[in-house]
Amino acid sequence: MSKPHSLAISKLSGGYGDVTVIRDVSLTVEPGKIVFVTGRNGVGKTTLIKLIAGQLAAQSGNILFGERDMRAEPPHARRAIGIGYAPQESVVFDDLSVRENLTLQYRDRDLARYEALFASFPRLRERRAQRAGTLSGGEKKILSFCRAVAEDTQLVMLDEPTEGVQPENIERMATHVATEAGKGRGFLIVEQNLGFAERLADHAHVLDHGACIFETPGGADLRARLAERLAL
Amino acid sequence: MELVALQGLNFVYISLTLALVALGLAVVFGLLGVMNMAHGEFVMLGAYSVLVVQNAGLPLLAALPLALAVCAAVGWLLEYFVIRHLYRRPFDTLLATWGLAILMREIVEAVFGRDYKSVNQSLPGTVEVFGAVYPAYRVVLMALMVAFFAGLFLWYRRSNTGARIKAMVSNPALATAVGVNTAVLARGAFIFGVCMAGLAGVALAPLVRVEPYMGIDYLLSSFFILVVGGLGSLVGLLVGSTVIGGSDAIVSAITSKTGGYMTVLVISILFLWLRPNGIVARD
Amino acid sequence: MASSRAINVLFLIGLLLVPFMWDSFVAYQLGLFLLYGMVGQGIGLCWGRAGFLPLGQALFFGVGAYVFGFALKLEAGPLILVAGLLAAILLPALIAFVVGFLVFIRQIGSGPYFSLITLALTMLGFQLANSMDWLTGGFNGMTGIPALPGTDTYETLYYVIWAALVLVSGVLAYVGTAPFGQLLGATAQNEERLQYFGVNTALLKAIAFAISAAVAGLAGALFAPHQGIVTPQSVGFLLSAEIVVWTAVGGRASLMGPVLGAILIGFMASELRDSFQYWEVLIALVFVVVVIRFPGGLWSLVEGLARRLPSIGAKGARKRDLETDKSRADGSVRLAFEDVELVLGPVRILDKLSFRIDTPGVHSIIGPNGAGKTSAFNVLTGRLKPTAGRIEYNGATVGGLSRHRIARKGIARKLQIPSVFPDLSVDRNLDIALWAGNLTLSQMFTLRPFRWSTPLLNEMYDIFPFLEDGRQPAGSLSLGQRQMLDFAMTCLTQSPLLLLDEPCAGLSSSETGEMIDAIERIVATTGSTAIIIEHDMQVVERLSNHVLVLNQGALLANGAMEEIRSNPAVQAVYGGGSK
Repeated sequence: MSKPHSLAISKLSGGYGDVTVIRDVSLTVEPGKIVFVTGRNGVGKTTLIKLIAGQLAAQSGNILFGERDMRAEPPHARRAIGIGYAPQESVVFDDLSVRENLTLQYRDRDLARYEALFASFPRLRERRAQRAGTLSGGEKKILSFCRAVAEDTQLVMLDEPTEGVQPENIERMATHVATEAGKGRGFLIVEQNLGFAERLADHAHVLDHGACIFETPGGADLRARLAERLAL
Repeated sequence: MELVALQGLNFVYISLTLALVALGLAVVFGLLGVMNMAHGEFVMLGAYSVLVVQNAGLPLLAALPLALAVCAAVGWLLEYFVIRHLYRRPFDTLLATWGLAILMREIVEAVFGRDYKSVNQSLPGTVEVFGAVYPAYRVVLMALMVAFFAGLFLWYRRSNTGARIKAMVSNPALATAVGVNTAVLARGAFIFGVCMAGLAGVALAPLVRVEPYMGIDYLLSSFFILVVGGLGSLVGLLVGSTVIGGSDAIVSAITSKTGGYMTVLVISILFLWLRPNGIVARD
Repeated sequence: MASSRAINVLFLIGLLLVPFMWDSFVAYQLGLFLLYGMVGQGIGLCWGRAGFLPLGQALFFGVGAYVFGFALKLEAGPLILVAGLLAAILLPALIAFVVGFLVFIRQIGSGPYFSLITLALTMLGFQLANSMDWLTGGFNGMTGIPALPGTDTYETLYYVIWAALVLVSGVLAYVGTAPFGQLLGATAQNEERLQYFGVNTALLKAIAFAISAAVAGLAGALFAPHQGIVTPQSVGFLLSAEIVVWTAVGGRASLMGPVLGAILIGFMASELRDSFQYWEVLIALVFVVVVIRFPGGLWSLVEGLARRLPSIGAKGARKRDLETDKSRADGSVRLAFEDVELVLGPVRILDKLSFRIDTPGVHSIIGPNGAGKTSAFNVLTGRLKPTAGRIEYNGATVGGLSRHRIARKGIARKLQIPSVFPDLSVDRNLDIALWAGNLTLSQMFTLRPFRWSTPLLNEMYDIFPFLEDGRQPAGSLSLGQRQMLDFAMTCLTQSPLLLLDEPCAGLSSSETGEMIDAIERIVATTGSTAIIIEHDMQVVERLSNHVLVLNQGALLANGAMEEIRSNPAVQAVYGGGSK
């Protein structure tokens, strides 16, 4: 990894076609920091991540990664420049084996880079020859998490990584995220599991109706602070 | 016995060639979603390559690299200037490739003339297969085609490119997220598809009349093969080729060429109506 | 509109004068191009308006030519001739209708299947014409066809052809203006949405294709005496392809464009084909460019000039003066899902979903992403077939029926993304909703349905005043207005059951308020039952007291808002509750 970059988005708006879902959102992820975005269903969290990953085109605002404007780059180039992404839905290639899912982007097709992750999630190694479509929802999420964390990117974006994952595996995910952040990688995580956020966050944002309504540093009572904003 | 062997060889030869054309269309239509109405015209380009090679006094197998080069170049031009702007706009690609098909036919007609050409039938060298005397050229091509299908089958299952194409098809958004350049991959797949048609044209040239309008028949047959066999698998493709090629051959032999054609058309409409996903449907 | 009618009339008058301005040989040549142009007009109806491309139109032209040529050769009096002419028109129409219906009912949209099948048909026709010597004369053609009785082939036949062109143009213009044509245009823009309004789009498209085939058959019938010979080329693929090219270059979306294309390219080809080797290449190139870049073709240039002409026959603003009563005698709704399953590939989307709704008012469906909310609407409206289980609506099983059938049983649906017909005016959009479920096939060919109005429509004008500016295209409305128009259209069907999928998606907070008021008011006045999918709890709370919570394809909770809120299972999966 070269000199670490920060992700800085400012006044970002966008959505599907001419439907604006995200309005004027700004946030920063510095190297080694873990930033959470939370909010109720349908407020635009996934849209925000898709805009940064390039899956959707922004209508206005900036997405800077280091000095570079990411808005001009197609999604596969953003990944090559250093922004990794694990989506919320359709998280794996169902028709491909687990092994193919993990190695398709590497010429050497070597699973060695997953040693540490396999130690935490041995099921994946056991099931490497199986079609990914046959995994359970939680297992798919773990597969997608491992794929993104093992990639050589300076920033990792995870969209609801713990959805459907059992508690002990969530704990293992948290350990891996903390370790990787310790190496200087940035994380931007969309999450509804506030315990996970409290455990890891350096900073957290709450979205509502496509806008950022609250932001707060991490710390001991983060969960309570966020829950207050999220009450039905 | 000799006659049966000869007919059998001919049938296998035709089915393999048809499967090759259909394979190209399956890649372009099935994987990329582009109904390439100019697909048959690439068969035509392949067949004219044999003619050019023959006129130049070169061995006929030299037509293979020539056809590949011509089809790849033309395919690249089409993809770059037209097709890539129209992905996910099926009606516009249909129209544009239809126009390009007319253009390709008219250019070939202006260069080579409208009349039928035929490739020299008295090919040097024959081989005896099951008691039947068969031209060596065809035997070599048949072996090449079988080897090609086998190789493709293995390659697609093992190579990263196969996995990437599968990935791009099953989940394009995720494919870009893991860094697959889907634009380059799609272009490669398109060029591969039209080159298959060109190769089939090389194989067909000695059997049929070579003329600018020969492509339509192959577009339609390969389309019917996809309707019958489904878009999902190589097995479906071979089954489709056998059903279409076989029913055409059998009914044509009993009644007339028109009867064979009508049978194929009726079978295809029935499949569209009863099994819209083909015999070997992908779930 | 009116000025384009003027230019069409001027164009036809100009064609009538040709024999006087040039000689009769020019008129004779022109006659052939007018016949081809008529075939192009039929293609224009299918391609320019309905959005599907027939590639084998010469088949119908050729069948018409052979049939009428055969009748002429019998020389057996006027009765046989009339019968022959009818057969020349109706036989192609019948073939087209059957083939079109078979294909369209299976393949929604404008995919390649239809085009390739028509292409195959014309190839088959060519082979049949070649091989059936006893009937068609085989490769050499049917020769010695006498002139049309009472005409001179090189003189007066031209006027007969001209009259046929006027007739065809008149019929196509009328059919295009009538509700049938409006629905056809809507099919091209959003076929699925139209099916949710209860329109059998496959039938509509098959009829359009049959009309185009009838026109081609009539042109072919006149071709027989014009040429005195019919060969297999008249059925073949080459002629089919050429007419498509002329239609495109002339302008596929206009009435006279195809005729202009046939005339211009026809005359230029007869001049240049022999002297300029690359003429065909040039025309092919022009076709590719026109198709991709200038879908309006040459006629759009003519219309550009025509705007300066005074308009004739302009009608005043249309009045909605025919009150129709669409309200149903029994507006009650009994809906039941019983163990409905939906499995797509490896994914189980609905997992034994069961619930009942049998009280009027607003019911809400909530649940996390991927819970199966929209999928429940999809299996209820025929977009997807349930894998197992039963869906019962007012005593009838609806699961697995086609979309327009279910819509006609009284279920209307508003999709999440506003789906109006963007190229049609607001008025036409409203018309389609008013017609939903009520318009008969014969009414599609009369102009009266444009005057329909209902009390509910007036109420809609009251709620959404922007609808009164009915002439602007729906596509020019803002997103919020399109959501409201879409909602208004869904309600105007007066279906007892309204399915509203996130009606407030993408609306600003003031627009959201307007929409909530509208939903409340309409449900109250019509006494209908509405089911809405909504993420916004404030909307849910205001509108409905009955809430269904879905999770992982099954019903998680079902009851009043307070019960739902205090349900621990709901809190666990929903609303940011910590795990």
